[in-house]
Amino acid sequence: MPLELRLAWRNVWRNPRRTGLTVAATVFAVVLVVFFVAMAAGLHEKMIEDSVRLHSGHLTLSGPGYFANRTLAQHVRLDAPLRGLLEETPGVRGWAPRVIGFGLLSRETDAQGVALMGVDPEREPSVSSLADRLTRGSFVSRERPHGIVLGERLARNLGARIGDELFLYSQAYSLETAADLYRVIGVMKLPDVTLDRSLALVSLADAQEFFVYGDRVSEVAVLAEDADAAPGLAAALQRRDPAVEIHIWSELMPELVQFIFIDDAGMYILLVILVVVVAFGILNTILMSVLERTRELGVLLALGLRPRAVFRLVYLESLLLAGAGLALGLAVGIPLVLWFQGHPILLGERMAEAYELFGMEPLMTWKLKPLNPIGSAITILGVAAAAALYPALKASRGRPVDALRSL
Amino acid sequence: MRRPAELRAQAREAAGFTAAVLRALAGDRFLWRLAWRNVWRNGRRAVIVATAVAVGIAGVVLSMAINFGMILQMIETAISTDLGHVQVHARGFQDDPGLDRLLGDGGRGGIEALEGLAEVRAWAPRLRSEGLLSSARASAGVRVLAVDPAREARITSLAGSIVAGEYLDGARRRLLMGEALAERLHVEVGAKVVLSATDARGDLAGEAFRVAGLFRTASLELDRSTVYVRLDEGQRLFQVGDTISELVVVARSREAVPRLKAALRERMGGDVEVQSWGELAPVLEYFVEIFEQMAWIVYAAVFIAMAFGIANVLLMAVFERTREIGVVRALGMSGPRVVGMVALESVLLTLVGLVAGFALTGLGLVLLRDGIDLSPWAQGLNIMGVGATIVPVVRLADFTTPSVVAVLTALLAGLWPAVRAARARPAEALRHV
Repeated sequence: MPLELRLAWRNVWRNPRRTGLTVAATVFAVVLVVFFVAMAAGLHEKMIEDSVRLHSGHLTLSGPGYFANRTLAQHVRLDAPLRGLLEETPGVRGWAPRVIGFGLLSRETDAQGVALMGVDPEREPSVSSLADRLTRGSFVSRERPHGIVLGERLARNLGARIGDELFLYSQAYSLETAADLYRVIGVMKLPDVTLDRSLALVSLADAQEFFVYGDRVSEVAVLAEDADAAPGLAAALQRRDPAVEIHIWSELMPELVQFIFIDDAGMYILLVILVVVVAFGILNTILMSVLERTRELGVLLALGLRPRAVFRLVYLESLLLAGAGLALGLAVGIPLVLWFQGHPILLGERMAEAYELFGMEPLMTWKLKPLNPIGSAITILGVAAAAALYPALKASRGRPVDALRSL
Repeated sequence: MRRPAELRAQAREAAGFTAAVLRALAGDRFLWRLAWRNVWRNGRRAVIVATAVAVGIAGVVLSMAINFGMILQMIETAISTDLGHVQVHARGFQDDPGLDRLLGDGGRGGIEALEGLAEVRAWAPRLRSEGLLSSARASAGVRVLAVDPAREARITSLAGSIVAGEYLDGARRRLLMGEALAERLHVEVGAKVVLSATDARGDLAGEAFRVAGLFRTASLELDRSTVYVRLDEGQRLFQVGDTISELVVVARSREAVPRLKAALRERMGGDVEVQSWGELAPVLEYFVEIFEQMAWIVYAAVFIAMAFGIANVLLMAVFERTREIGVVRALGMSGPRVVGMVALESVLLTLVGLVAGFALTGLGLVLLRDGIDLSPWAQGLNIMGVGATIVPVVRLADFTTPSVVAVLTALLAGLWPAVRAARARPAEALRHV
């Protein structure tokens, strides 16, 4: 161990109580930072994953212009080359074609505007969790033509029960009036209030017949390995088929990306305040230890130690102090977060309702990303380095004569 | 079993000691002067600790003020764009909104109950249902609100949210829609659209309207899926005669809402539902609750971090003065007075930081008085029903809570050094260099 490091290490432990308190403050801050960053990461990943699995998918393939217009006029043909593309591109975890249109659904005197989605009963579960959200009845299937599945609030607003017949009215692809009767075969509970109030599912074949749409579909939703893999997969698909329009989840849900940004910003501001408060503690400790040793440091300077070496010595002391706190903090924080990662917390009823507003399952989850501890480490060490500047300069600038004369 | 008795004796002793400390502090101005001078003995150190406390407090109070401003705005937006303060419906409408649960005779019963109530600032009738809105290029499911244009303008900010075209006036067959909906349907002001809906008899009805104006509010849901038509035209389209779905009432202030609700309930009897904004949108109230819980966690975290720093400085100060404390003990200063002196030093040091922190907070609030412009993230805010400019809002509690917690923190942090100082045996302390 080089001399300076050894000296610094011994100086740090000269006053164990003081060092202990400073290290404890640092540990406290590090644990909080790791914990809250992981909590936010867990929340955000869950928001993305829930939204993606609710129906959008990690990315969508559609005909040119669909993203901007979202009408039946923009479509893509689900032909052999497109199927081949989806089957053969590595990284596609699942895909599901859909026809999406709007309609007015009525039963006796109740009527509701609905987003009508035609889904492929076999393929849909490979992308979305819609089929798992059924609370009554059954999902759409080829065996039960003209069956319709409704969101719970939609069903309630229509006063519709399983087996009831509903009248569906809309505009077909040709812009002529489209109207038909459907029978309610299932009710699903969707966590997103707007969707729960407005989504109605029929089979892909029924939707294509209703809108007179042939083998066209509005979009194909694709599930990638995870949210981070979506841009890469989108690029790979685009290379193989330049004509198709591809959008990834962050484009499909820009408000979600912005929400996450704002939420993160608020949290980081608070964590920075916390770290700054701790940094003042480090500053004070080092400064006190420097002032106590004025005479000793003066002797070192008088004996010919260069000011730069004294600066380094004091600097090393504060980095050691922060480093010790950081190491202990990570040693406590990381296992803590890993434990919570395996044990998500089910929220109480009131919190749950707030979560549902954002279309989320009421679960509090943690996610430790490798960048999280690294980021915490850089922040703490950086702030400690800034805090140590003043005492280190003070120690190295002193004139030996004055220092020796002091007590 | 002697244990409980021992514990009781210890507790009595501690209480007696605390009382003695308080007596010493209350009766002795000299002790205060001593503590104050001790704070400034090592000015540099005191300034650093006070700065840490000030930065911590100002940072937390300002962030909380911004957060709270956001939540208040969310509530105000919900109230001023759609909810109003109190709504009156026919019984059962909330569970099953439909054209078969309406207030008869134009809501006359309700209107009569409203008349003369001092808490009422304005009210408006509405008919609401669902429909399908089609343009030449696309169609979308919409919520139809049939309103009395003049009255609606007094209870919501709708008239002020028009960004293109005009608000509803005397002209026939005009409607208002959100800018976002217009984009989706590819229509502009003046375009023709067809509104189809099922009327009260269950028949499909359709009518052509022209787009009179487009609105933009802080609520994405409203902008994407709501259209406004004139009340009489809505009543004709839905074939409901002169009935309405709801009366929306705005009170003189948010504080008057409970009184207003109670008065309306009493006057109108059991055939109607009278609900406040908090009952209509319970989530808004949860946000306030969740925010308040979060604020405590944040304060606790920052203050614990501060406590380490304060304890450290006090401990150093006490150790430096081992000899001095030994002298005053030898001269007859009592244990409680020594504890009082050190604890007071801790509290005074923290209070200096607190005052500086509040000064910083005040400066921050003055700088941010016009609000923080977050327009690049407007959509993310709009899903929460918040506009792009956020004005921080502080309440009295934002100053009292940190003050109380700061003093408690200072007392706790000062306790160890204080007791250490009081325990010093004069003879040993005097021998100490």
